[in-house]
Amino acid sequence: MTATFQGYPRPNGTFGIRNNIMIVAIDECCEGIARNISKEIEGSVVVTNHYTCMYGGNEEMIGTIIHTAINPNIAGVLVIAMGCGSIDPELVSAPVREVGLPAHSLTVIKNKGTVETIKDGIALAKELKTYADSVERVEAPVSALKIAIKCGGSDTSSGIASNPSAGAAADKLIDLGAACMAGELLELLGCEDILKERAVNDEVRVKIDRLISEDLARWHVIEGTETMSIGNSVGGLTTIDEKSQGAMHKTGSRPIQDVLRINHIHREKPTVPGFYLTEATMLCGGAAMHFASLGAQLIIWTAGAAGFNNSIVPVIRVSGNSSMITADMDINACGIMSATDTINNVSDKIVEKVLDVASGAPTNLEGIGYAYASLYQKDQRLEHLLQICPA
Amino acid sequence: MKAIKLSHLDTVATLLGDVEKNQVVEIISADNEIIAEITTLQAITFGNKIALAEINDGEHIYKAGHSIGKSIVEIPVGQLVHVQNVRSERLDIPASIIEEIIKQMGIEQ
Repeated sequence: MTATFQGYPRPNGTFGIRNNIMIVAIDECCEGIARNISKEIEGSVVVTNHYTCMYGGNEEMIGTIIHTAINPNIAGVLVIAMGCGSIDPELVSAPVREVGLPAHSLTVIKNKGTVETIKDGIALAKELKTYADSVERVEAPVSALKIAIKCGGSDTSSGIASNPSAGAAADKLIDLGAACMAGELLELLGCEDILKERAVNDEVRVKIDRLISEDLARWHVIEGTETMSIGNSVGGLTTIDEKSQGAMHKTGSRPIQDVLRINHIHREKPTVPGFYLTEATMLCGGAAMHFASLGAQLIIWTAGAAGFNNSIVPVIRVSGNSSMITADMDINACGIMSATDTINNVSDKIVEKVLDVASGAPTNLEGIGYAYASLYQKDQRLEHLLQICPA
Repeated sequence: MKAIKLSHLDTVATLLGDVEKNQVVEIISADNEIIAEITTLQAITFGNKIALAEINDGEHIYKAGHSIGKSIVEIPVGQLVHVQNVRSERLDIPASIIEEIIKQMGIEQ
């Protein structure tokens, strides 16, 4: 198997697998302006801060925009601000220029209003597009790949077929030099001891316990919060331990290098090849953007019952549920459920697909029906009340 | 019908289809090799677990190489291993919900 792919070289030494122009509406009121500019630019993606136009209390979410803007899949960035809010568009543009890529900020009020800003925005985005088009794919090492793994709409087949296959693929990709990551810490409740045995040091062991228990505190504020549905149990899951382990199988078996924090102070990213746990949310749309902000160029999505898609980070969908096998699914793991295929064989197919998609082959849903680029952040007031201190 | 034993440490296998009482189930490894045959003591539906060995009261149940909880009664080979005979060591399902699961699944006790 080849241990390289064809990627877009970036000035800071990273490699993109896509060459998108990112248009940011840094205030929610600029969404229409950003969309109108994007319509004219092929391969552009819009990310909107839909919370408010205030910076205070929204630093974690703005951090997701800033770090997504420097994801290697992005070739250039245009940031639109209204001019009456408190978020400086240069918070996003400046770091992009620092990594050596073109970025522009436009402020609607200073730029003679909406109509003029759309006109000027299209001109600037066309310049970005011209730059992006000048970059050609070159051979890149697998060590330049950061791959996220997420499960969605989990069912019985997830824990037996798609998650173990994704985990085995993660092991193989790590052995080729890649970094792989997963989030959804709450769904690992009960797996702490198993995960700690895989941690590379005590510091990581402490983080595993701390960050999983913080997520439990955050989501189980009201006593009796449902952790498992009756449907989960009728489908064959006996305990939360078993359900969590089914989710854990997608993390493979390699040592855990770190648990990467996502908050208003820290945005930790993979530094060496290997497996990473992260604070990426279990919520689908938000998770994809969290992974984008951690530098992931690609997501492997194990789907019991969902065809998730994201416009910045291509999504390879894997399912072992035969009723879910439609044109959406990139990898069919159903053979494991009918005892005609093996986890090892399906994981080989996933690795091959990852390298193909990294080199430019489209996923089955690429360009079709993207999810909203959701910017999930923790509720800062709740964090304060729970005395969760990220420092 | 087949049931998959994901790790050699496991004391349960997961059914890949529905089975009736007194039916022979082929136990396969993760590599699809048939490693045992077990006769069911009760009906078990797709995705649920069958006991591969005698499990004593208070013993860990192993699936995919890890403990998924502890037995609360003795479980004979061929029986359904589920909410009626296993409890989590981390966070229990409320008793009323367990009753509802047993009712919905029609688990023979």
